Amino acid sequence: MGKYVLKRIGLAFLTTFIILSLTFILVKLLPFERPIGGDQQQIAYFDKQLHLGYVNRFEKEMPQYGTLLYKSPTEKGRAYYYYQVPVLEQYANWLKNVVFHWDWGYSKSFQPNVAASVIIMSRIGYSIRLNILSVIVSVPLGILLGIWAALKKNTVTDHTISTLVMIFISIPSFVLISFVLRIFSYRLGWLPSTWPPDTAMTSAKVKGYIIPVFCLSFGSICGYCRFVRAELCEVMESDYLLLARTKGLTRRQAIVRHAMKNAMVPIFPSILAEFIGILGGSMILESLYGIPGIGKLFVLSLNYKDYDILFVDMAIFTTISLLAGVVLDLSYGFIDPRIRMGAKK
Amino acid sequence: MMKKTIAILLALVMVLGMAVACAQPATEAPKTEEPKAADAPKAEEPKKEEAPKATEEPKATEEPMAPWDGAYMDRDDYKAYVKNDLDVVVAAIEDQLEDATYAAVKAAREDADKAIDEAATLAEVRAAYEAGFKAIAEAIPLADGLYTYKKDSNAERTNVLGILERFAVTTGITGISLFENGGYVMYNPRVTLGTENYIVGYGFGILAEGAITADLEYETNEAWKRYYHISESEDPGTLNYYNDQGSQVGDLFGYQAASFYTNFMNETKDGYDWVPELAKEKPVAVNDEDGDGMATTWRFEVRTGAADGLKYVTGSELESRKAFNDREVALEDYLTPFKMLLTQANALYRGSEQANTKSGAIKGAKEYYQGTAEGPNDELWANVGLKAYEEDGKNYFEVTFTEEQTQFYCMYYISSSLYMPLPQDFIDLVTVQNIFGYNTDKTETPVDNALSLGAYYLERYDQDQQIVYKKNPNYVYADTKYAIEGIHDKIFTASREDTSAVLNEFLAGHFDASGIPQEYLNEYRNDPRTRSTTGNSNFKLNVNATNAETWEYLFGEEGVVTQTPKDSYWEIKPALGNHHFVQALSYSIDRLTFANARGSIPSVDYLASNYMSDPENGLSYAVTAAHKKAVETLLEDTDGYGYSLELARDYFRMALTELEADGAYTPGTKDAPTVIHIEIAWMYPTHEENYHNEIKNLLETAFNDESVCGGVYQLSVDFWVGNAWSDVYYNKMMVGQFDIGFGSISGNSLDPIGFVSVLSSDQDISGSFTLNWGVDTNDPEVYPIVYKNMRWSFDALYNAVNSKGIVGKGQNKPIATFNYTKIVKNEDGSYTGSMEIVPTLTDITTITPTDVVCCNYERYKLGDGNYDEKSVEFTVENKDGGVVVVTFTVPAELAADYATGSGTSENPSGLTGFDFYYDQVFDGAESSGLYYSVQEDHFEVPAAQ
Repeated sequence: MGKYVLKRIGLAFLTTFIILSLTFILVKLLPFERPIGGDQQQIAYFDKQLHLGYVNRFEKEMPQYGTLLYKSPTEKGRAYYYYQVPVLEQYANWLKNVVFHWDWGYSKSFQPNVAASVIIMSRIGYSIRLNILSVIVSVPLGILLGIWAALKKNTVTDHTISTLVMIFISIPSFVLISFVLRIFSYRLGWLPSTWPPDTAMTSAKVKGYIIPVFCLSFGSICGYCRFVRAELCEVMESDYLLLARTKGLTRRQAIVRHAMKNAMVPIFPSILAEFIGILGGSMILESLYGIPGIGKLFVLSLNYKDYDILFVDMAIFTTISLLAGVVLDLSYGFIDPRIRMGAKK
Repeated sequence: MMKKTIAILLALVMVLGMAVACAQPATEAPKTEEPKAADAPKAEEPKKEEAPKATEEPKATEEPMAPWDGAYMDRDDYKAYVKNDLDVVVAAIEDQLEDATYAAVKAAREDADKAIDEAATLAEVRAAYEAGFKAIAEAIPLADGLYTYKKDSNAERTNVLGILERFAVTTGITGISLFENGGYVMYNPRVTLGTENYIVGYGFGILAEGAITADLEYETNEAWKRYYHISESEDPGTLNYYNDQGSQVGDLFGYQAASFYTNFMNETKDGYDWVPELAKEKPVAVNDEDGDGMATTWRFEVRTGAADGLKYVTGSELESRKAFNDREVALEDYLTPFKMLLTQANALYRGSEQANTKSGAIKGAKEYYQGTAEGPNDELWANVGLKAYEEDGKNYFEVTFTEEQTQFYCMYYISSSLYMPLPQDFIDLVTVQNIFGYNTDKTETPVDNALSLGAYYLERYDQDQQIVYKKNPNYVYADTKYAIEGIHDKIFTASREDTSAVLNEFLAGHFDASGIPQEYLNEYRNDPRTRSTTGNSNFKLNVNATNAETWEYLFGEEGVVTQTPKDSYWEIKPALGNHHFVQALSYSIDRLTFANARGSIPSVDYLASNYMSDPENGLSYAVTAAHKKAVETLLEDTDGYGYSLELARDYFRMALTELEADGAYTPGTKDAPTVIHIEIAWMYPTHEENYHNEIKNLLETAFNDESVCGGVYQLSVDFWVGNAWSDVYYNKMMVGQFDIGFGSISGNSLDPIGFVSVLSSDQDISGSFTLNWGVDTNDPEVYPIVYKNMRWSFDALYNAVNSKGIVGKGQNKPIATFNYTKIVKNEDGSYTGSMEIVPTLTDITTITPTDVVCCNYERYKLGDGNYDEKSVEFTVENKDGGVVVVTFTVPAELAADYATGSGTSENPSGLTGFDFYYDQVFDGAESSGLYYSVQEDHFEVPAAQ
């Protein structure tokens, strides 16, 4: 088991490594874009790139190095010629900086001079709090609604819940938030229309969580509800539950002791999967509601072409997703004793 | 039945044919609309008698003429338009001509008319027009000599601006203006504006003269309820204006910065006054020797902590920063920001800008900047024209400019917020890199790294959330101005995605001000909370009118502006190089409808309303006669905003006629028309919906109608969008990778005549901000620019009115030109070469060579790419006309060393270059240590190598 866990974690890191490597290489293969500004800005930028090992500088033209990126005037009226280092060499330099110096680079334009890892760390808390709250809200609500629908199967209640679930599961969170904002913030004025700043009063901060958590949770609630209903309906029609009833257990006893327990086996791991989904979905929602989390940062770093931040953000999303996947797989073994991880035949 | 039908059809055809034949003379009647031909005195000029005859009996006059070969335009219409073009030329220059010159121009104009009238074919008409145009131009003498009109009155300089603007709009280098970015703004009723009438160049005076009369309920922080609540669409990430290029950081920095002089609304609330802020008085000339009110050196008394109680403020809670709270401003603090900016090693963008500026340049600043790549240099600093000293118990600041300035422009140039005093120990503490921003690990925020002397100081900076300023109790005018307690600037990124987001927040009572998005204009345009404003920038469609040859010169592999690899060459559209085609595009845009739908102001102008003709008195250039004359041709026969479908189509037909004659296009058929494809580059993806679709519709509707050219041509307008605002500038327009690009450049609104530099094709003059390409602005033959009975190029007159213009045959010239003769190997192995230095104005120029340096810049022997140089012997020969010939000899040993020391060991190249150092006296001004570099020459590589 231990060996299996280690293997899965190792594979997760290998996958992260491959994803980041591909991201780096693909981004670097995009047409080179010079920063805006005059010669001083260009020189400052290219000198930094030179220091990072991403460009070469020569005092004459070197066509063998490919396309000339920039020709900077020197004090004597001559020129420095900058050429891109081969992408794989850039990649090696990047890896060297990350592995040996834990240097993920610095923000170029989003927050000039600040270390990319520092920017990420200052924002990750907002995203984590939001996502955890969302899971806390969506899991019990989704499960309860699913159970209620399953127990009332083929009744008006069941049909109503199922129809609403189908409708709301189809609406993305960033669409939902527009409606919610219009009604609860702009029309009724009950809730803040943007994320309250850190200096806001506690009550305002609490209110500030309602709209994003609600919008993030809604899809999850519907998902859980549908999943739980389906699982529970299937279990309730199984032979062993019929046996339990014939043995004299009441319906409540049979559902709570047997049906629920078995129905939860595939549901608990899906909670982890939902956590991953929420993390991805919050990118757009964070941007729309002004939440200073890493989801919004991802979008901003793309807009600003601040690739050092983008790489760290990507690394975090990838690592969380893959580790969550590992935990998901391992959890099956703990929840259902019939599943033995990595057991030999 | 069939026979009947055929008979009827034949009869119809015959009737129609007869009708057409009868109508023929009537269709040629427009000739009578040529007033000059009709008014010609018949008795004096018998030939002209034929003109009215031609109108009456067209067939009789057409007989001797060859058939007209202009496909889309009637001969007489075409002639009328080209004659009108010549009329426009003469009308533009006549008030600058002396009598004799005017007579010559008039004669040339009349000859041109005659030649055009007599011309039969398109080629003949065009040749007659070109000859006439040239004759008119040549009737005016070219400027030649040294000129300066910098000291002229505002009114005179405004006239010159009008002349330059007229050239620019006529030749199309202003692009096609669409709208001014002013419009409508809604204000919360709790905000009392300083004035109800928007003051051009100043605004409503909200912060300085306004007030807030009620709490903002939505604000949860009690202390901030009376702050002015506004928003930013993105977090700037820093408030370090010293190293920022955009306008956002500058605006935010301005809240907390003080400058030597500032503006406040005047008593009548219809303009503004310049008042001392850190200064205590207006500048006093130190060296106004001729008493004309201009001087290079000015001084004024400044406030300090000891004498006037001027103290810094910080909102930081860090102990190290608190020490600067209430610290008194010392006199030497006034020099600190200049030194920080101008030290090249600090690599501050605004420092580079300040060092290289031509308008209001400070003496010695450029030299100091160039000499401080490694760090501050006290020796060079001593030559910089900035001093702070105490005299008779008073504290003075003294500035010396490179050129004479009036008192007003001295105030103007010295009043940047960048020059707010700072203590050197504060800069040392927070570091130049982090000043007004975050440090690398974010343990210090901009609040900790900022000091304030302005109306507000930074209270909070919560990344991506809010920037909050609080009123500075130590501010010079804290008791009389800036009644509003603070500014709350919300970072509201949703407004990037949703154009109505800010308005929604405003309507919900969360913000104090909002613009009105297009879709809400009808609803809120007349709302009592709405005020209208003028703008500070005109947005335009900039045009790439280059031909293949010019594009290659500017942007090709060896381009002088940028170097483009062959596979990235832009496909030039010949149509855009035809001025009539661009005019057609301009006339086809219904600016009034377009701008009204967007809440902005329709405009054909290059300069927005806030550019001042008389900055001291707040007179906008837009209302001057000079400007009105400059744009009159764009507005004539239009709806008042440059829109006329009829003119658009006529110019389009003219353009097609000319382009076909030039062989640029061949007509297609109705079923397979020739497509003229044009791409418009926009800033953001949202611009496709906001702007492009309507412009595309206007252009295509105007020209793709079958009535225009029988459907044999089709205009197809496509789009390109960038992700960031800068993409369209830096990746498209400034590097020639575009057909038409949307954009605007804002400049110094108090110095519009300096700002038109960006229209120049000379990158040194435009500061690499040229957006419209295709016209050589240093060629006086392109279109006549006439001032004081002399003909100029745009660049020459620009320089003359802004500083000194060295003008040779109407062109802007350097002080001297350098003609290099390549080195030749002598028998002893040494090499001899020469350099001829030819002063442009020999009477006032003396060139004295001081050194010749032989350079070897690929010394593989010293390591890849390394550089070596050595002085060589030279002789100087002074020839007639001030020409200096420098003959130099590279010793055999050095030549052999450099020949084998460059390139690679396997493949030495012998590449070399020479620097020619010289001293110069020009118009009495001495300069030393100047040099001219020659980069490409070769020593012969020995065969054995």
